[in-house]
Amino acid sequence: MDEQTCPRCKTSRYRNPSLKLMVNVCGHTLCENCVELLFIKGSGNCPECGVSLKRNNFRLQLFEDSTVEKDVDIRKKILKDYNKKEEEFFSLKEYNDYLEEIETIIYNLTHNVDYIETMKKIEHYKKENRESIIKNKMKYNKEILELDRLIEEERQHEIDKRESIEKQEIEIKRRKIIEKEALIEELMFSDNDAKEILNYFSENKNKKENILGINKQLKKDNSKKISYFSTGVRIGIGDSNQMYGKVLPKIEEGPLFVYVEPQLIVDGPSFPTWDNLEKMGYLRYTKQESIDENAGGFVSAYACMRALQEAMCGLYNISKKCDI
Amino acid sequence: MLSVNQSLNLLFGSMFPTSTQKNYWIFGSESELNKLRENANKAFIKRHINRVQGIKDDKSNYFLNSNEERLLVKFYEIKMRDFCRRFTPQMPKPVIGTAFHYLKRFYLNNSVMDYHPKEMLITCVYLACKVEEFNVSIKQFVANVKGDLEKATDIILNNELLLMQHLNYQLTIHNPYRPIEGLLIDLKVRSNLSDPDRLRPTIEDFIDRLFLTDASLLYSPAQLALAAVLHSASKNQENLDAYVTETLLGKNNGLQYLKDLIEAVRKIRTFLVKNVETPSRDQIKYIEKRLEICRNEETNPDSEVFKQKLQEMLFRDDKADDISYQAEPTTSQNGIEKIMQELPSI
Repeated sequence: MDEQTCPRCKTSRYRNPSLKLMVNVCGHTLCENCVELLFIKGSGNCPECGVSLKRNNFRLQLFEDSTVEKDVDIRKKILKDYNKKEEEFFSLKEYNDYLEEIETIIYNLTHNVDYIETMKKIEHYKKENRESIIKNKMKYNKEILELDRLIEEERQHEIDKRESIEKQEIEIKRRKIIEKEALIEELMFSDNDAKEILNYFSENKNKKENILGINKQLKKDNSKKISYFSTGVRIGIGDSNQMYGKVLPKIEEGPLFVYVEPQLIVDGPSFPTWDNLEKMGYLRYTKQESIDENAGGFVSAYACMRALQEAMCGLYNISKKCDI
Repeated sequence: MLSVNQSLNLLFGSMFPTSTQKNYWIFGSESELNKLRENANKAFIKRHINRVQGIKDDKSNYFLNSNEERLLVKFYEIKMRDFCRRFTPQMPKPVIGTAFHYLKRFYLNNSVMDYHPKEMLITCVYLACKVEEFNVSIKQFVANVKGDLEKATDIILNNELLLMQHLNYQLTIHNPYRPIEGLLIDLKVRSNLSDPDRLRPTIEDFIDRLFLTDASLLYSPAQLALAAVLHSASKNQENLDAYVTETLLGKNNGLQYLKDLIEAVRKIRTFLVKNVETPSRDQIKYIEKRLEICRNEETNPDSEVFKQKLQEMLFRDDKADDISYQAEPTTSQNGIEKIMQELPSI
């Protein structure tokens, strides 16, 4: 990607970060500036291969490889005419042959193999199948219209849902405010016990919420009805879960970690316990920790204990390597 | 709190008995140590035996023998102690102890003729500084060395990894200093000895001299500490026998170990009597003179062979790094010669 340069003015993406490479039907690239310069009249020849081009046909380069761009261009054009559907064939083999033929035509055109012959073939096909082409085009347009309608419907549904939720929320808020005001009013002017009033109101509130809760559930059930996207993909978590459950391979697990408590090997006389450290007065002979040290979590008992333990550890040590 | 303390118990207490020091570097007897040294000496002679073939007279005196090697190491141990004492900033004691351990361990399995002790000793001290978390930079460190600083830096840094390798990367050393503190605290609490702190000067002197012997390769740091404390007590006309037999060991069935412990302490104390004699200057001069002839040229930074090898290595490095500029041969030659000039006469 870094090496993208305009073949005419040699500008690279490094020198001009906003460089836009354009491509036309012949598959040769030009940067935006060069296109503007060369095709000021609206049409001209490609500086690489000399094919006459229209400025309107320039579009942004999507793929690095220019042959891919060319392929895409040609495919678009060819498929406009070769638009038969699978249903129109008697067998799958025939349909596959038909698809293969399309691919051969596209390949030939992009790589300039038997160019004239291929073009003739296309003309011939067009003449022969004019009626079905037009029919399929109409059909295709209809399908697109149908899809658009579905998408539009879905969007409308979303909007409706959102609006109804918003309305509901506003309603709940309003009711709460009214309740609160009523409660305050009651507390202000009534002679009853304040606790009783509070209890009465909270009970009332619970009841109302219950009713609302039921309503919400009903609404939810309604909204659940649609479980397909417009494209026919199913909505729903349960199904997808089942699917993943099948696909996921079982992970082989090694033996579980077993914690073994470390054993203290003293190899010497025992030393005082932490409690005895202070009781027996060991700490009197250790330097009191400074404030800084205490902030780090150190106390003089640690230093004292460490010295004592090291004095005891290994006192009974007898080396067994007496093999001489 | 209890569980925290229990884990702390393990943290502190499990140190020496499970250490590499106990498992690999505490030996059974002095004869075992001597055997190891002899083996190292023999191994060197075996490798270089063809060198003697050209010499007609006195073949037996060409190489150093094991005893001479030991004398030389001992001589340099004293040098190391003096070097550490004069070191600025002042060096904590455990650093010195650790350095001694390293030097002793290194020459158990290596011959003086392979690696000259004057080079290894500063490397040992430098590594000990690092391991004991005594933070000095290499610049600060070599400022304490007399002579060519650049050359000293080179020697230290070149030998550091080698030293670690020969120590099997077992770098944690348990020194007797903390056990001494522990014993003194215990004495203050559990004995009727008045003012145990007055024992300190003799204890320190004892430990200092102990490091010049093989005791640290034979006994655990706690045993060394106890021996030092007992020695100091007897020097100060105090008797701690009751403390040892009744308080220290008596309370928890430790009496079965008493005999061994007394024996260990006695042996440690006899070390000092028989072993601390400094080798004479003439002896050392004679040994060093012969060492210059018989030492391994490949590890002698003053030799032509070493220079050549270094040059080759540098050249290879240059190639490997694909450095575009060529180091001027004249300057690098000078540089190496400068480095190779005399090592600090510490």
